Amino acid sequence: MMNSVTRKAGVVAATAFGVILVSGSIEGSLFAQEKLPEGFKKGDLAPEPAAEMIEAGKRVYFTKCVWCHGVDGAGDGPGADRLWPRPRNFNQGTFKIRHTASGELPLFDAKKPIPGQNDLFETVTHGLPGSAMPPWEGILTEEQRLQVLSFVTTQLVKDRKFTDKQSESQTILQLAELKPKAATDESKKRGSELIVEKKCIECHGVEGRGDGNAFNLKDDWGFPIQPADFHKCWNFRGSRQDPYNVGNIFRTFSTGVNGTPMPSFADNTTVDERWDIANFVNSLCERDTVGNPLPIDPLTDKPKINFVVPSNLVEGEIPADMENEAWQKAPKRYVAMGGQITHKPRNFVNRIDDIWVRSLYNDKSVVYLLEWDDRTKSVAEGKLPWAPMQVNIEIKEQDPKTGEEGSIAANQNKYAIYNDAIAIETAVKWKELPAPIKPRFLFGTNDQFPVDIVKWEADGSIRAFLGTGWDKDFIERDTYEENLKVLKGEWKNGRWYVMIQRPLGNKKDQDYEEDTFFEVGQYIPTVFFAWDGHNGDAGRKMAVSAFYYTFLNPPIPRETYIYPVVIAFGVVLLEGWVLTRRANKKKGKTL
Amino acid sequence: MKALMSIGALVGVVGLLLLVGMIFDVIPSNTVRLVEGYMPFQMLLEFTCYVAGFAGLSYMASSIGMAIPRFWQGIGFWAFVLLYLKFRVYPPIPFSVRAMYGTVSLVAVFMWVSANEEDWKEFKRPIMNVLDASSGTNKLLRYAYLILLPIIIGGFSFNAMVPKSEEPIELRTVHPAPPASTKVHGKTFVLQTSQNPYRVNPEGKYDQEFTNANIVEQGMGRLMKPNANPWDEKNEGYLKYVREGGEIFFQNCHFCHGDNLNGRGLHAFAFNPIPANFTDPGTIAQLQETFIFWRVSKGGIGLPNEGFPWASVMPPWEQHLTVDEIWKVVLFEYWHTGYYPRTWD
Repeated sequence: MMNSVTRKAGVVAATAFGVILVSGSIEGSLFAQEKLPEGFKKGDLAPEPAAEMIEAGKRVYFTKCVWCHGVDGAGDGPGADRLWPRPRNFNQGTFKIRHTASGELPLFDAKKPIPGQNDLFETVTHGLPGSAMPPWEGILTEEQRLQVLSFVTTQLVKDRKFTDKQSESQTILQLAELKPKAATDESKKRGSELIVEKKCIECHGVEGRGDGNAFNLKDDWGFPIQPADFHKCWNFRGSRQDPYNVGNIFRTFSTGVNGTPMPSFADNTTVDERWDIANFVNSLCERDTVGNPLPIDPLTDKPKINFVVPSNLVEGEIPADMENEAWQKAPKRYVAMGGQITHKPRNFVNRIDDIWVRSLYNDKSVVYLLEWDDRTKSVAEGKLPWAPMQVNIEIKEQDPKTGEEGSIAANQNKYAIYNDAIAIETAVKWKELPAPIKPRFLFGTNDQFPVDIVKWEADGSIRAFLGTGWDKDFIERDTYEENLKVLKGEWKNGRWYVMIQRPLGNKKDQDYEEDTFFEVGQYIPTVFFAWDGHNGDAGRKMAVSAFYYTFLNPPIPRETYIYPVVIAFGVVLLEGWVLTRRANKKKGKTL
Repeated sequence: MKALMSIGALVGVVGLLLLVGMIFDVIPSNTVRLVEGYMPFQMLLEFTCYVAGFAGLSYMASSIGMAIPRFWQGIGFWAFVLLYLKFRVYPPIPFSVRAMYGTVSLVAVFMWVSANEEDWKEFKRPIMNVLDASSGTNKLLRYAYLILLPIIIGGFSFNAMVPKSEEPIELRTVHPAPPASTKVHGKTFVLQTSQNPYRVNPEGKYDQEFTNANIVEQGMGRLMKPNANPWDEKNEGYLKYVREGGEIFFQNCHFCHGDNLNGRGLHAFAFNPIPANFTDPGTIAQLQETFIFWRVSKGGIGLPNEGFPWASVMPPWEQHLTVDEIWKVVLFEYWHTGYYPRTWD
């Protein structure tokens, strides 16, 4: 407790020092107005919101916000300890997404809810994707959003004052007036060189998957923080529900992210260079095969999900090379992953939130190619304290309330390291169960309705299990394991590429009671599990998907070509009949 | 009359431009958002505007001597209904439902064009003209139809027959019939007679009226009543328990059910079926408190088969929470959404 008080005091002192520094630099800039970074203009502080607005905002705050942000706005509400990133501590006036220069307060004017001119209003309106902050548009009226912000900026921001002309200033990025540069190949190429030159890759990684220096970064409050993954633009905090908009990247790059190690690059880049970088970063975000942005589901602000994973037929051996044409042509599916929060130990913070799945099959086997971003390659050192098939293992789950020091956010990088792993679970007796009944998604229903689990771990092992219930240890199937093959298992620049081959199963030769029979043209219920070893994931502490379906694309049957022709011929006959009738009738009339 | 019609026409033009803009993605489709909870009214209002607009437009057209034939009016209106349902309504309506609406509106259009013999004749005329090939253009059209129709229909049937991998449709019962009683932490609760022990007034007596008076206000935002702040230290009874329930909710439930209890939590995007939206009038507002108690305690795994227990990620909360904590969470959910639990009588 004592510890926490001194630490808080330290933070306050540090912030105060920061304020002095900032104000000092502002005085400096007053002398040389022209020295503003390119694209910025001096702005005025907004007037104080009306007292009624503040009072009304309190009501909004204590209905909606207090549960995470806390009574005093210190980001310590009841929900805080199980969240990472932790909810914002408003007291210091540190806000991430702004149009203002690094270190300055964000734009907020209770009378001007205009996009581009009111940062905090936009944050509340659109939420902060990738965190627990939801978009409040459609829930709170515009008026209510302005009210609650009036309350937060005047009552809960304690160390700074939005209206204090002595200590605060606004140097505003003129984003609306800066025309985006066309995202030509040349511009993107220059951007790719600049992100090396400007050292972006030191934190964000060579491929921009956020895997560089991921372990030493802390925010202003001492909580571990991770660099953004450029390939998941829908998780950008500042994406404003418009993730493929290059302007958002340009803004973040120009103004920095206050409270985090992400600086502003306004001083050492020209506007032109910043557009090049923004264009390049934007081009890294996942796109479909022809390069169009993925369709985003407006209800979740994530890519739209297709629950069918189609598998194409290949003649002969299934290639292990990802660059092979067969893999390039195979449809790639986005599989959304959530934390396993059904049974203990619950995984409130899953660091793997999606995997990309492709599949191919031939007459004997089916191969899954699984790719997912994981900032850290985790291979357990030494022997793990439990056997591979054990599910009920000793891992503590986060207590609901432990204070800042004991929160998930504070302990993020302190877990014992286990193996990264991925598993494909398929229903064993999917055909005997009347649709839509399936064995339970979490390790099967019981002995009668089990699941077939194939699990790969980062130590290179691949195992087959039978799952007979969420709290039952797996049954290992040693004899089956020789049928499995890892065609690829590589971690490169923040991404795992794993290719797993397994038999299609055969009702005649193999025991259909124990493993899944992959029948062509049928929907085979499939669930994916993923573990991040650096997140302390093991046993049931993992990321899970919903039920997807593996679908082995059948060759097109001959009837498909015959019937349409017959139907078309029928239509021709019908046309003839109608016309003759009409002609006869007319003749009858005229005669 | 004329002024009224021109206003109608103006509304029609603006509305049509908006819709066309949305279809071609020129205008972002969320420019005018359909607001959750107010959608049916908003849609009715919009439809009224459109009908007024069309009436105005057709009046204007005929008054400047460019009357639109009945035939094209009917087809145009039907096409409008289909496009509106497809592009304007969000969340998207499944094709089967749209097909139903489409059929109903087609019947309506037919009734309109065949209201009397004259109208019907006028409607039929373009079709007959093509059939009879009365002019050069019509002759050309007739040949085009003769060739195109079989090709199009054949193409459609080929498309329908090619093996596709579309997600199988599985219909799930969201509120299955509850059992008569449920056993939680060793204690049996009869659903018909159990009461939430925390629905009490400051004196500690079960008091539905008192608690209903202290829930959040209905209407946009669903804010707490000005003098009923659960975070007030002086609270006794109901509001104190609401706060305790809220703490449990925001430590356990919001991950899926969301900060606003609308089923859009942090992990919700990954799951199917999606988490329940408590602000929807079709969920907890339709149910008894004891039903929620049973659902929370037993979770997805405790559902009968029509509720898809195999796919639900809803935890059986008796594994994580005490009986008291579950009752408090239920209390909080009703407070935060502003709904009254249904009673058995």
